Amino acid sequence: MEGELLAQQVLNGLTIGSMYALIALGYTMVYGILQLINFAHGEVFMVGSFAGLGVLLLVERIAPGAGLVPALILALLAAMAAAALLGMLVERLAYRPLRHSPRLSLLITALGLSIILQNLVMLLVGTEDRAYPDRFTEALQEGFDVGAVHVAWQQLLTLGVALAFMGALTWMVRRTRLGKAMRATAEDPITAGLMGIEADRIVALTFAMGSALAAVGGVLFGLNYSINFFIGTQAGLKAFIAAVLGGIGSLPGAVVGGLLLGLIEALGAGYVSGTWKDVFAFVILAVVLVFRPAGLLGRPVVEKV
Amino acid sequence: MNRLLHAALLVGLSGVMAWPVEAAASWKLGVAAPLTGPLAKMGADIRQGVQVAVDEVNAAGGIRGQKVALVIEDDKGDPREGMVVASKLVQSGVLGVVGHLNSGISIPASKEVYAPASVAMVTPASTNPQLTERGLKNVFRTIGRDDQQGKDAADYVLGRGIRKVAVLDNKNAYGQGLADVFRRTFVRGGGTIILSDSVTSGDKDFTPILTRIKAKQPELLFFGGEYQDAGLLAKQARRVGIRFPLMGGDGILDGTFVTLAGLKAAEGTLATGPGGTSQKGFNVVYSKRFGEPGAYSAYSYDAAHVLMAAMGRAGKPDRKAVLAAVATTRNHPGVTGRITFNAKGDQPNFKFSVWTVADGQFRLVQ
Repeated sequence: MEGELLAQQVLNGLTIGSMYALIALGYTMVYGILQLINFAHGEVFMVGSFAGLGVLLLVERIAPGAGLVPALILALLAAMAAAALLGMLVERLAYRPLRHSPRLSLLITALGLSIILQNLVMLLVGTEDRAYPDRFTEALQEGFDVGAVHVAWQQLLTLGVALAFMGALTWMVRRTRLGKAMRATAEDPITAGLMGIEADRIVALTFAMGSALAAVGGVLFGLNYSINFFIGTQAGLKAFIAAVLGGIGSLPGAVVGGLLLGLIEALGAGYVSGTWKDVFAFVILAVVLVFRPAGLLGRPVVEKV
Repeated sequence: MNRLLHAALLVGLSGVMAWPVEAAASWKLGVAAPLTGPLAKMGADIRQGVQVAVDEVNAAGGIRGQKVALVIEDDKGDPREGMVVASKLVQSGVLGVVGHLNSGISIPASKEVYAPASVAMVTPASTNPQLTERGLKNVFRTIGRDDQQGKDAADYVLGRGIRKVAVLDNKNAYGQGLADVFRRTFVRGGGTIILSDSVTSGDKDFTPILTRIKAKQPELLFFGGEYQDAGLLAKQARRVGIRFPLMGGDGILDGTFVTLAGLKAAEGTLATGPGGTSQKGFNVVYSKRFGEPGAYSAYSYDAAHVLMAAMGRAGKPDRKAVLAAVATTRNHPGVTGRITFNAKGDQPNFKFSVWTVADGQFRLVQ
């Protein structure tokens, strides 16, 4: 019984953790290249989630009997496209003009953008909580039992989709020319430029990819929970913690940090108390930063003299 | 351009200045509820219930030949914002206020803002007992109290032969108050609370705590809180394989709960709340304008009528006179039953009913 309970909690934790990880990747990618904490990233996640909802509602209106899988794939792709566009727009309009300004200006701009995006969405869709159409969530609610562990399709889908996208990203960064260009720009933008790599293009692409991953997280989030214009703040903050926990700038770090954060929350709420759920996350973060200031998988920063 | 602007400003200002003079002579009724935010649906129920009542009175010639004017404010369900709009209502010259929804707002606003100005506050929805336990003379409610509600809920559960429950609350004034009374009554009645915990309102992932509850195998999960959290609880309870019912108070008694939970997960959920006494005529009138009445629509309608009847008895638009008249409300024929306030401003004989979700809708059980 105890073992099965633990297995169930681990599954719960990995489910929410994989969503944190998807968002955390965007933070870490942008930080890796620009040393910027893109605080508007949580809002991109939120917009992606609403884009997914919009597409599913549209499908329900136009083709009420459409298959679940094609509709979900369509929603996912549309949300990714919308978020990627938004991410590139944000970078082009708000960050690029400030690329050579003090880093504090960028940070303040990011915070301002976050507020603007939140309020725009609020004006557009209102303040109430929304759920993805019943037909999609209901089918995914069901599942099967392994002993006393109940596995819902939703949890498998969330984990599977998240891992697939994380795998694809890792492959891209490690194995393709584009990935090499990204790594080079992150290492040293000036030298990379001398080698014929267009930094602006790479930065824009980084934003697009990070945002698209956040949108994947957003659609999965919408399928699992309910959404409102405010979800970006909480989820963004958690993902940011995950990125720092894993070592900001490190892709595997973001994934490990996200999954670990989900696990800590689930085990904390599952074994101690639901009241202190958020506290566990922050305590672990503080402890890790005391002993490993660069995060679990981060490279220690050497002060240049 | 500048001169034009000045002229416009002057015209605007004179309009503002003229307003209170006009207002002093008329009957002004305030409404304060969350018209935006996650509880906006319930806020709209309150505003619309009051609107129906005011329109009825005005169509019948108003009070002593003068129409009643409505002043509507959005407290956003936020205590800080609630204090601001309460002050705005007092400054705008209202004689009484229908509101607020949240106990967490009604409690401070009634004491800090309305009491010093002798404004009568009749809440159709704040059920926390503390509200009327502070010796304030200006606080009334057309709804019952959570110590009645929690007790009625626990008695119902015990009556169904259920002896093992888990209890969750969302830590706010309403949710925790309701859950506490439920716990006490249930234990006193011979039941066992096998797990008791809290969640953070607005949080989205409740699967860890639900998994723990499932392992303890209770016969029912009682939740003190509102529908936006309860909807997710029901949905995720199904996901982790929980098949025993969820029960809540009037805060989850709304169609939005079913939407957020999903049809299957919502089915069989229980909720205590306002009963269905003689509301038929009201339901028809209300539905024509605003659709299906929400949990608080009828209570807001009654609260507005109680206040306007008191204005009529007071005979003059004077806050102290109106307040004194509200306090003497006896056997007011409301659509939710006969309304009589005791010295605290409560209705001592209020009885909560039990509702359940069947075929995607809350229906009266008893």
